[in-house]
Amino acid sequence: MVDAGGGRGTSPTAHGDGGRRGGMAGDQDGTGRDGTGPGGTDPGGPEFGGTGDGAPAERTDAAARTDAVPAVSIRGLRKEFGQQVAVAGIDLEIPAGQFVGLVGPNGAGKTTTLSMVTGLLRPDSGTVRIAGHDVWQDPVAVKSRIGVLPEGLRLFERLSGRELLTYMGALRGLPDAEVERRTSQLLHVLDLAGAQSKLVIDYSTGMRKKIGLAAALLHNPEVLFLDEPFEGVDPVSAQTIRGVLERYTGSGATVVFSSHVMELVESLCDWVAVLATGRIRAHGTLAEVRGDAGSLQEAFLELVGARAGTSATAGDSLDWLGGDAR
Amino acid sequence: MSAVPGPATGPAPVPGRAPTATVSAATLLSVFVRIKLSLLRNGLRQSTGRTAAFVTSIVLAALVAAFQLLGLVLLRGNEYAEAVVVPLTALLALGWAVMPLFFADGDETLDPTRLAMLPLRPQRLVGAMLGASLVGIGPAFTCTLLLGAVVAVAHGPAAAVVALLALPLTLLTCVAFARAVATANVRLLTSRRGRDLAVLSGLLIAVGAQVVNLGLQKLSEPDGLSVLEPAAEVLRWVPPAAAVGAVRAVSDGEYALALAQFALSCAALAVTLWWWQRTLHRLMVSPDVSTLQAAEEPTGATRGTAVRGPLALLPEGRTGAVIVRTLRYAWRDPKTKVGWASSLGVGVLLPVVFAIQGNGSPYNACWAAGMLGIQMYNQFGQDHSGFWMVASTIASTRDAYVELRARMLAIALVAVPYVCAVSVLSALLLGAWDRLPEVLGLALGLLGVLLATGVCSSTYFAYSIPEEGTKNVAPGQGSLAYLSIFGGMLGGALACAPLLALTVWLHVSDAHGALWVVLPAGVLYGAGVCAVTLRVMAPRTAARLPEILAAVSRG
Repeated sequence: MVDAGGGRGTSPTAHGDGGRRGGMAGDQDGTGRDGTGPGGTDPGGPEFGGTGDGAPAERTDAAARTDAVPAVSIRGLRKEFGQQVAVAGIDLEIPAGQFVGLVGPNGAGKTTTLSMVTGLLRPDSGTVRIAGHDVWQDPVAVKSRIGVLPEGLRLFERLSGRELLTYMGALRGLPDAEVERRTSQLLHVLDLAGAQSKLVIDYSTGMRKKIGLAAALLHNPEVLFLDEPFEGVDPVSAQTIRGVLERYTGSGATVVFSSHVMELVESLCDWVAVLATGRIRAHGTLAEVRGDAGSLQEAFLELVGARAGTSATAGDSLDWLGGDAR
Repeated sequence: MSAVPGPATGPAPVPGRAPTATVSAATLLSVFVRIKLSLLRNGLRQSTGRTAAFVTSIVLAALVAAFQLLGLVLLRGNEYAEAVVVPLTALLALGWAVMPLFFADGDETLDPTRLAMLPLRPQRLVGAMLGASLVGIGPAFTCTLLLGAVVAVAHGPAAAVVALLALPLTLLTCVAFARAVATANVRLLTSRRGRDLAVLSGLLIAVGAQVVNLGLQKLSEPDGLSVLEPAAEVLRWVPPAAAVGAVRAVSDGEYALALAQFALSCAALAVTLWWWQRTLHRLMVSPDVSTLQAAEEPTGATRGTAVRGPLALLPEGRTGAVIVRTLRYAWRDPKTKVGWASSLGVGVLLPVVFAIQGNGSPYNACWAAGMLGIQMYNQFGQDHSGFWMVASTIASTRDAYVELRARMLAIALVAVPYVCAVSVLSALLLGAWDRLPEVLGLALGLLGVLLATGVCSSTYFAYSIPEEGTKNVAPGQGSLAYLSIFGGMLGGALACAPLLALTVWLHVSDAHGALWVVLPAGVLYGAGVCAVTLRVMAPRTAARLPEILAAVSRG
């Protein structure tokens, strides 16, 4: 276990990177977008980090910001697909500057929730606010503040890795020279420099996740949403992704990622929300959610109602397999 | 667990964990045949459409086979019988050899990598897979055809005996060809390039059909069959056609020739089987595609890292990026490529063919505008679920406006010069230079109108284009696609009415001197409709992003 507290959020780099975080806001109107950067359209807002000039003095302490405005605020979020209720009314406040895990079994509604939170899926009811801005009422303020890595959706796969990032940089309104600089660094750090000229369609799962992460990070968002970023990823790539994410949250940004691998969540996250059958079963700091249970895994199984011992009754029928039924 | 006494070292062995007993060849064959039948049955159970297609193809194959059999039997005694059946057999074998390159995904038993984890020896596997391959419509059809071929050339009891041997020999060689080629190319077939190739095969088949059509026309001329004789001269030495040649040779008493031809065919089958077994062995003990790709060394910058050449002249930001991406996709994405190729091809072919046939009109240049204009339709469906990348960056009406405008510009960048060129070509072929201005005006006006209606249909009637396979509409979205295309065309025709009315009016009122007005009018009208549509549609597109994403992500 790593430190469960907000240690990363208050690290000195949060101040050092202050200018960096806001840096893209003012100068990204290459396509005529005026003030679409964070804070550009809502001067005087109480929230953090939205200053286009990037003056460090305006950056308040990370802990204080966390108290002020949650990174994500969800109210009564609900989505049905025909008869099936995918998300059955979620209320959740995700604190800023933390590494947040959204955990739940397959089919719990994680992907649906993240899709609605990031504006890719329209909810039946409920509201989502990112850093105080409503996702559906104020997309200009929201979309430049968030980065997304969805699961199960394609990329523009007939582009090479570098072309894809260049393309996304242009769509984000970043100047060409800046895109070039960030792309080269991201490709290098994510160990994709050797494959930068290869078409994304020929990438392995791990490479695909990494190029997706690069695309999500390119505009240096305040909140990063990652749907199963480690699914099907080999340990080497997973470690690379992890390193980049830890550095990113170190700058005061928020990462929200979904997973059903508890060990991973336990070792990475400061804050956890447990989702099952479309509802939030528990949320809070890792220690709070874990409670008296020995590990997050046990606490999780308890929460979603699947006891570890239930398989014992079926154990006898596998006697030919050897070993004792547990 | 049951306590089985075992050696003191190591865990106790569990009953049943013995080395798997080796399976006999006959059992394996029956297992493979049953797998094949189950796959067939389960495939049909999935959808009634598939069942209907299957039944239709059975009926069609049976009909064609019956006619072919009849034709070949009637050929019996004809002096050109051998000249027909030998090339026919060779063509058939060639078909079997290249077929797996285009229809690899049709038969799951074809992919030996699925069996790599089973304790099977290649030799056994070859026998069983060959047996299983003989089950199906294709082999049955081939068998009928070969039956006709040997009947056509077999005269006398000795020839009949050779025919009885030649028929299975040829059939087995054909099937073994197909399997060996598929095995040798399984890397290619399961790779992305192989699947791209399969999508492009549609064009190849269309061209091939024309060649066959021309060939048949030539052969059906009086004495046309004689042109086959030189081909037969050579092909009678090419297995497995040589086996059919041997039947003819025995009929004519040329036993030495027959023996040589038959031996050659047997040798060919043996070599094919040997080659198949070797590649199978190599395939099953070497790492698969994913491992190979991961281990691949970086090959250096093969693809340009920066935009070069004329593309570098494009504006910075979203406009330039979207244009570059659209043009790259037109070249790199097989389905988009087929779409563009057909649009460009049909766009120039129709006016030229009409002109050559003598019933041409310079207005036929509008075909080029029409074919290229519909490239704007279902823009987001071409992105498939990759559209989320676009959706997540469109925050304002302005973003949507720039995105739509850039996609339009990318098409116009190709379409405008092309339409102008085709118009000039039509005028040149028909010598109707005086009509060029009005034709250009009409064609460019039509192009503008179609680009504009394309924006509307892309926003309101988006549908998914599956990447795999030959389908261009995801299941369940067929009506949406028709609505998109035909609704758009109807809208386009209506929107073109003012321009058409102007042209007709100028003609009727004998104001031929003023017909040049149609050119600036058409250009302005087309551009104007585009500009207005973009303004009107941008906020609607921006508001419908989640709905569009849901529609294009299907399938």
